Amino acid sequence: MEFEHKVSKGSRFNQIYIPKEMKSVFEVGDIVKVKLLKKKTEIYYSENLLKLEDFKEKLIKEIFSHLSIFPEIKQMFIVGSFLIEKVDYNDIDLIIITDKKQENLEEKIYDYLIKKLQLKFHIIVIPENSFLDLLRVCPLTRSMFYYCISDKKFDLSKNIMLDKNHIKFLLMMPEDLLKITANSRLFYDNIRRLITINQFLENKDLNPVKINVRLKSLLGDYLYSQIKNNEPIDEIVIKRLRENIKENLNKIQKNLKDK
Amino acid sequence: MSKNKNIQELTTILAIALRHKIGSIVNQNEIYAQKYAKDAEILIKQAQKVSRRENWNNYDKENIKRILKKKLQYELEKREFLDNKKFNIIEGEMNKVLKLIELD
Repeated sequence: MEFEHKVSKGSRFNQIYIPKEMKSVFEVGDIVKVKLLKKKTEIYYSENLLKLEDFKEKLIKEIFSHLSIFPEIKQMFIVGSFLIEKVDYNDIDLIIITDKKQENLEEKIYDYLIKKLQLKFHIIVIPENSFLDLLRVCPLTRSMFYYCISDKKFDLSKNIMLDKNHIKFLLMMPEDLLKITANSRLFYDNIRRLITINQFLENKDLNPVKINVRLKSLLGDYLYSQIKNNEPIDEIVIKRLRENIKENLNKIQKNLKDK
Repeated sequence: MSKNKNIQELTTILAIALRHKIGSIVNQNEIYAQKYAKDAEILIKQAQKVSRRENWNNYDKENIKRILKKKLQYELEKREFLDNKKFNIIEGEMNKVLKLIELD
C-alpha cells in the first residue's frame, strides 16, 4: 500500500499525515520508507518583471525542480528574451550560481535538461564571488538581471562601482568594428552594448527593453530589424553604423575621463 | 586584391580574433569568456574567407605567421587591462588558429 502526501510543518518537526482512510493499513509501530518524489519549488520575480503567462511560470518551476538534484547549485536564474519577449525568444538563458568553480557542471546540467525537457538552453555557471563582483561593476550583467526569475529571493543591489579596466574590456569589440567587416548582428549587439555602458556611466536605468527602444529610435525600425535578424547590409549602412559606434565611444571615453 | 593586401587583411583579422580569444582566457570572467570566445570564432570564420582567396605556399605561410605574431603582440601590449598572462599563451593560441584555417 502506498500514498502520496505533502510534508507539512509541525511545531517541532516537519511531518507527513497518514490519510484517514488508510488508518487501519498504516498502524502505529509499522515500519515505512519515505521517498522524495518532487521538490517544492518557489520562484521569485525581480521587482521590474510583470507576471509571466502560466505556461512560462510552470516551465520555469519545472526547470528549477529538475535542477534541485544538483547539490553544487546555490541559486538559479532565468534571464533574457524568454522573460521579456512574448514568442520571439531563441533559447532559455539559465545562470547557475555555485559556491566555487565547478568543472563540467555546465555540460552536466545541459545534458540533464535536454533529456528531461527537450528545449534549447543557454547555460552559464558562475561562482558566487565572481557573480557578486560582476553585479557591482558590469553594466551588461546589471542590465541582464534587470528582469530575472530566481529560485531564491534576489535584489539587484544599488551598490555599483566603476572598474575602468572592465569597461575597457567590454569596449574591445565595438572598437574593432570600426576597422573590420563583420556580420550585421555583431553591429546590433555592440551598439546595444555601447548604449548600456553609457547608461551605466551616467547612472541611468539599464532596462533592456528601454535600451532596445532607444536603439530602434536611433536606427529606425527597418535597419533595427535588419541587423537584429543578421540580414546582409551594404557599405553605406556599415558606414552609418560605424558613425554611431564612434559617437557612442566618444561619449563613453568622455564619461570615463570625467570619473 | 594583391597577395600582399590579402596577407595584411588576413593577419589584421586574425590578430583581433586572437586578442579576443586570449582576453577571454586570461580574464577568466565566466559570462564574457563565452561571449568573447564566440566573437573570436566569428572573426576566425571571416579570416578563413580571406584566406581562401589565395593559394598559399610555404613562404607565404611563414610570412603570415611572422606578421601575425607582430600584430598580435602589438594588439596585446596596447590592451594593458588584460592580465599579463596573455603573453605566455600567444604562441600556443596562434598555432591552434593557424592549424584550424590550414595555414600551419
